[in-house]
Formats: sequence, structure tokens, C-alpha cells
Amino acid sequence: MLCLLGYTFVYATGRADRPIRSDGFSYYVYLPSWFLFHDTTLSAVARDCCGGVYPAYTAIIRWPTTRRWVNAHPIGVAIMQAPLFVPAHVLTRWTNLSPDGFTLYYQHAVGLSGLLWIVAGLAVLGRSLRRHFSDGITAATLATMLLGTNLYHYATFDSSYSHPYSFFLLAAFLELTERWYDQPRTDVSTLLGIVSGLIVLARHTNVLFLLFFPLYNITSLSSLRARLALFTRQRRVLSVMAIVTAIVVSPQLAIYYQATGRIFVSSYGDLGFNFASPRVVQVLFGVQKGLFFWSPVLLVSCAGLLWLARSRQSARAFVVPALVVLVVDTYIIASWWDWQFGASFGHRGFVDTLPIFAIGMAGCFAALTTHRQLQQWVAVLVVLAVALNVFQMLQYWNHVLPFSDTTWDQYRGLFLRWR
Amino acid sequence: MARLRIVAGCALTVALVAVLLYLRDPSWLLTTTSGMRGWEEDAGRRFRWMGGHSSLFVPSEARLIEIPVRTTFDEPGDWPITVSISIDDRPGDQLVLADADWHAIVLRMPPPGSRRVRRIDIRLDRTRDDNRGAAIGEIAIR
Repeated sequence: MLCLLGYTFVYATGRADRPIRSDGFSYYVYLPSWFLFHDTTLSAVARDCCGGVYPAYTAIIRWPTTRRWVNAHPIGVAIMQAPLFVPAHVLTRWTNLSPDGFTLYYQHAVGLSGLLWIVAGLAVLGRSLRRHFSDGITAATLATMLLGTNLYHYATFDSSYSHPYSFFLLAAFLELTERWYDQPRTDVSTLLGIVSGLIVLARHTNVLFLLFFPLYNITSLSSLRARLALFTRQRRVLSVMAIVTAIVVSPQLAIYYQATGRIFVSSYGDLGFNFASPRVVQVLFGVQKGLFFWSPVLLVSCAGLLWLARSRQSARAFVVPALVVLVVDTYIIASWWDWQFGASFGHRGFVDTLPIFAIGMAGCFAALTTHRQLQQWVAVLVVLAVALNVFQMLQYWNHVLPFSDTTWDQYRGLFLRWR
Repeated sequence: MARLRIVAGCALTVALVAVLLYLRDPSWLLTTTSGMRGWEEDAGRRFRWMGGHSSLFVPSEARLIEIPVRTTFDEPGDWPITVSISIDDRPGDQLVLADADWHAIVLRMPPPGSRRVRRIDIRLDRTRDDNRGAAIGEIAIR
């Protein structure tokens, strides 16, 4: 309900432009192309929306050798938007709006789809957290993650981006991973295969999230050996998972092949990674988009992960994969040519990994239950961090804070100012 | 409990049908457009830029509508742009913009149907840089 209120507020007051914009356009464009224009090459939508040529902001480029359109953004988000696209199309016909894929109902189907997947992600994450922590800690963690980070912003203002989908998918992947180790059944393996495929299809670099599965509950060399033995015993259900993943990913490979003649392509064209000079410090602490600068409450999550690593808490099973995924993900984000990820509130690259941070946060809250004095101090700091985040989000919505390239002087001048 | 469920189901169905009936012909369609940017003004004339496809609604009792339209020829290689109009998905008229002057597309409207409004779709065969295709002026309805 809170997300729906925020969503209604940003669009009813004109704070946000129509939902299908910027990256949201290229994530979604497959749906009108496939279902309204019956075209897998994206050419028909280009003709209809844009006189035959996609504008540069869409990141849909002509492949140099084939002259066909290649979309920098893969098909996963569009697949997950399909459930709301269908009623939007039926309503569009009913009201006699233009059925081109970009009129009113399509716009809000896309906007609300992102919102719903974040709500679904929070529900799944809550289920996972309750297995290890009390109801109170789970509720406090979910509320802090939603309002203390940029998650709420990506459920409302920028819900057409890929991050709400990746947030849900990682939350689902963590939940299913635990269920698989509890009971390695074929149905759980199939679901893991579907979610794994969609993780890759929503954002290719998120393939690293799949490391969570083999690394779950690895705490020593002997547990690593036991894990290899388990995988050998369970090779049949593991192959089910791998086959399902391959089936889910295969349409994307077919699209790349159709467009370029190759199944593996760098869909961003010349744009790429600077692995030799990652901007790690800026990505984590910088004024422009630093993760902890804009979402300081996530420092509590890091403290929680470290506490979990030394504790006997059952959620300790998540620590090794969480640290590996967070370190590698940070390196990948920091190596991207545009390490700020363009216009965004906070660093949007980390929205996808917020389920991991949630485990750490719940761990920290659990640790504090035995330290009454410290608990009060941390509670005050968390409330202040949440309040600051909400205020800064409203500043961003009101165009007080710059969309990118914020400098320290700008930040200081605008701190806690409404205009 | 079962009776409560039946009542809730009936109420939901009635609400859904009411919403659908309302959405078949809502009055706000007259102010709804798609594919157009914000209003601009030049030399006393108001207009909006469109990309490859835009749509708008006019009252169904309109007999004649006049759509002012122009494009730019800023670059030496700029090709003429063909503007195609359709009324409720039926082909209406075509116009080739071969210079930078304002032109008027005059559409004789078919007799009113069962709805209060008619949808006019404007399509262009090409656009200029930044997906600017044609400027659409204020539409005159007679």
C-alpha cells in the first residue's frame, strides 16, 4: 500500500515522466515487438515509434555487419512484465486507445509491474528471514531495507528499470537455494532453473548470483568436500536445473543469433568494462553515487554479515556466498565505463543485491538483542539514516538533487534543503 | 462465511463491470494524447513535436478537423516526411512534407459511432535527430 501511494504520488503530481522511459524503454520494447507487431527483430517498433531509427537513449544499436537491431538490454524484464501487459492490451482495445504498446495502460502496466515484483520480493525475502530470525527482526529489516535504501525509489519513481525484477529474482533464488539443500527435489530444481535463467535474462552480469547455490553453507574445506559429494549424488536433479536454465536462456541466444549471426555478443557495442582501473572507492563511498554515502544504513548490514560469520546462527550459511557475490559484484560495477550507472537515486547497481544486505541487517539486529545499550544507539542511528534517505529521495523527486555527477559542494549546499 | 464470500464475489463482479463500462468511453480521452512532447510556442503558434507515431482524440460529432503540421529541413540531406492519418484505425489521409512551411491536413470525419470520441493516429515514415518528426499545431474542429 505504501508503494502504491508513492507510485500514485509521483505520477499524479507529474514528478516522474511516463513510466516507459530511458532504460525502461529498451527492457520493455520486446513485448510490443513480439505481441503487437509479431516481429522479433525490433524493426517494426522502430518504424512505428521512431520513424525507423531508435534514438540513442534507448541503447538499441544497429549491429555493424548485419544492420539489424541489437538491444543492450536482454529479454528477462519483458518476460516478467508480460502478466500485466496482457490485461493492459485488452483494456487498451476496450477503451479504443492506440494499441501501439506505449499508450496509457501499457505505461502503467510497466510501472506497476516493477512495483509488484518488489512487493513480491519483499514477501519472499520475509519468508526466508523468518526461517532464521524472529518476526520482529524480520519486519524491522524489511521496513529498513524499503525506506532506508533506494529500494522504495525503484518500486515507485523508476520502477520500469531492471532492478525491481533482479531484486525479486535474487530473493527467490536465496529462498529456493535453502529449500533445495533442505530437500533436493525435482520441483525445487526446476524452479531454481527457471529463476536462474531469468536472473541471467534480466541482467547478464547477474549470472554471478548463481554462485550462491554452490557456495551456500560452505564454512570450511571439509564442507567443500562434502558439497562435492552431495552434488555427485544429486547429479540427476542438478542436471534438471541446468537443462531448465538453458531452456529459459535459449530465446535470448536465438535473438542474438538472428541479429548478429552469433549467440554470444557484447550487446552494449563499444561500451564496456575497465577491469584494470575499477572505481571501487567512488562506487562505495563517493558523493556522486557511493553506495554507503547514499544508503548509510547498509553499513549495519555489513556489520551484521561479519557478526554472522563468527556466530552459530543458522543464517551463517549465507555469509560466504554473500561476501563472494558482493565483492565480485562491486568489482564489476566499479569497472563499468559509467560506474555511476547514469541518472539514479543512490547507486542503482546495488538494488539487485539488497536481499543479501537484508540478511546482514537482520543478523545485526539479532546480535543487538543481547546488547541493550548498543541496541538503542543503533536504533537511533538507523532511524536517522532512514529519515535522511526518505528526505533525500523526496529531494531527488523534486529535482533538488542532481540526477548524476553530484559534487560535494552541491551536496553540502543542498543538504536538508527543500529548494 | 460462504455467504460472505458469495456477497464479496458479487460485489467485486459488479464493481468490475461498472469500471469496464466506464472505461469503454471515458470523457478524459478528449484530453489524452500519446507520442507527443510538451507544448511549445513560436511566432504566436502553439505546437507539439511528435516522434514516429502519435495519437489524440476528437469529439465524435466533429464533421471536419484540420491538423496543422510542419517539419524541419535543417540538414542538407533531410528527406521529405510522409504523414499518414488514420481515424479509429481506418486510413484517412496522407501528406508529404517537402518544405519547412506549415501545412494543414483537413479530414472529413465519418458519421458518429457508438463512442463519444474518435481516435486520430498520426504516423510518419521517418523522423529527424532525437526522434523529432513533425510539429503538430492546435487542431481546429468544425
